[in-house]
Amino acid sequence: MGHHVSGPDRPSAARLPRRLLPYRVTRWIAASLLHGWVLFAYVLLLAPLIVLAGASFDGAENYAFVNFPPENPTFEWYFEIPRRYYESIGVSIALAGTTAVLSVVFGVPAAFGLVRAVLPGRPLLSAIFRSPLQIPSVVIGISFLHLYYAMGIAMGVNPAGSFAGLAIGHFFHSMPYVTGTTVAVLQRFNTALEEAAISLGASRWRTLRRITLPVIMPGVYTGALYSFMVSFGDIPISIFLTTPQFTTFPVEIFLDMDQGLEPPMLAASTLVIVFSLGVMLLVQKVVGLEQILRSAGARK
Amino acid sequence: MTLRWHYFLVPSLVVTLLLLLTSQYVFLKGSFYQDLGLGLIGDELTPDNYVKFFTDPFYLRSLWLTIKVSLLATAGTLLLGYPVAYVIARSRPRLAMFMMAAIVISSFMSIIIKVFGLMIIFSSTGWINQTLLGLGLIDRPYTVIGNLSGVVVGLIHFCLGFAVLLLYSVIQTIPRSLEEAAQIHGASRASVLWRVVFPLSLPGVIVGALTLFNLNMGAFTSAALLGGGRIFTLPVLIQQTVILDVKYSMAGTIAAILLASVILINLMSIFVLRRMRATKWVIT
Repeated sequence: MGHHVSGPDRPSAARLPRRLLPYRVTRWIAASLLHGWVLFAYVLLLAPLIVLAGASFDGAENYAFVNFPPENPTFEWYFEIPRRYYESIGVSIALAGTTAVLSVVFGVPAAFGLVRAVLPGRPLLSAIFRSPLQIPSVVIGISFLHLYYAMGIAMGVNPAGSFAGLAIGHFFHSMPYVTGTTVAVLQRFNTALEEAAISLGASRWRTLRRITLPVIMPGVYTGALYSFMVSFGDIPISIFLTTPQFTTFPVEIFLDMDQGLEPPMLAASTLVIVFSLGVMLLVQKVVGLEQILRSAGARK
Repeated sequence: MTLRWHYFLVPSLVVTLLLLLTSQYVFLKGSFYQDLGLGLIGDELTPDNYVKFFTDPFYLRSLWLTIKVSLLATAGTLLLGYPVAYVIARSRPRLAMFMMAAIVISSFMSIIIKVFGLMIIFSSTGWINQTLLGLGLIDRPYTVIGNLSGVVVGLIHFCLGFAVLLLYSVIQTIPRSLEEAAQIHGASRASVLWRVVFPLSLPGVIVGALTLFNLNMGAFTSAALLGGGRIFTLPVLIQQTVILDVKYSMAGTIAAILLASVILINLMSIFVLRRMRATKWVIT
């Protein structure tokens, strides 16, 4: 104790090769390279949003190109957003809301069944519930177009181009998000809490409502946020199931881009950025950022 | 609790199976009808469309292009995303939370808005070109929109957030003590990263790469817009076949081939994971 183990030779230090640069310098270079690289990734990730929002305030005379940072800041483009953009934003919000509600209504019971039912073939069931995530969105879009077309021939009802048709396609694609996040919280759920409630005389349903649901709610909300956002931003499914008269905001912008970039498109998109941030902030307030981050890597 | 939990499964399972089986059955069957154009299809089931796909150089080029673009984008995404995930995993909790939040915000934004922003940045009269022209580094505007590099940039942007989250969850499982041990024995930061962290995360990286490749193969919006209508990857081709040529069956055939390749990649990734588990490469 207290004695240094220092042999006469200090082998490790002696055998180390002579460094070209002092250790501190090489470490500094390595760290700056790493951090520079990370910074670059963040710029690439966030710059499009910032540039888009910035350019929407640009009031330069010649609108041949989009200036950033804006010259002559102005709000004028916000007053020139065409009515159809507001309508399609409305459609998108209603659609995403409907999709999220449907996904919760069907996804949460599925999660309970998957975690708690005693049954054979659970891996198969869970694979079936996850299968819509394995199908590329564009394939979901075209397959629902085919399905609706066939329904039109067989039953005389073609849901393509209707709100219901869109909502069903979106719901099919986004239910797995809710099932996934709810399964994750249910697996961590401590069933002793339920046993305690029952031994104190609560009925099963009361226990489910008052004990279990409040505990798993963050997972449900997070899943709902996922399905809302996935539906809200979707193009590859919607593009097959919308019509020029009835369309979602992303599809509308997608098709308008063929005619060139117009300033009101920037303004409308900026409003959508603000709306999306608001939704995320709201959900984050309710469930906490950590819950969202925890399930973030688990999707797909 | 002795609720009959399996009853809870029934409605969701019925709905999912109904939508899954009907939509996939109808479209796969539809892909076997002869396509007469203008939304008309023949009466008999024939493999004509598939024969056409695998004999027409135009379609084969598109398949190869999709694979090439997806490979490039996957490599680029991993190269860009891995250091980010590593730095987040090794940052102080508050900073890590902040960095993760930025990633999540970006991945939740509508893809059209992100692509719109990229188009502004990269357009020939856009910000980067103006700066480079102003500095005299280039003599005429150069744009990536409408060529292969534009599509690759778009796909990297599309996948990057997801890749970081995925790689983060892999790197997080590597105990920090292993890195400290290596450092105590005289390894530099770079060699700790290259010879300790990277090999340990390799199984996760491989599975992640397959997932990303999958995502890229099916990516529509970035490829369509940053390809400027000139780069026909399979998803873009499917939409063009429906909207411009009004060939529903042919579009179904292309979609079926895309789906088959994606399922193949999925099976591969399950197989790879199994092998790794068997050889104790990964613990989970």
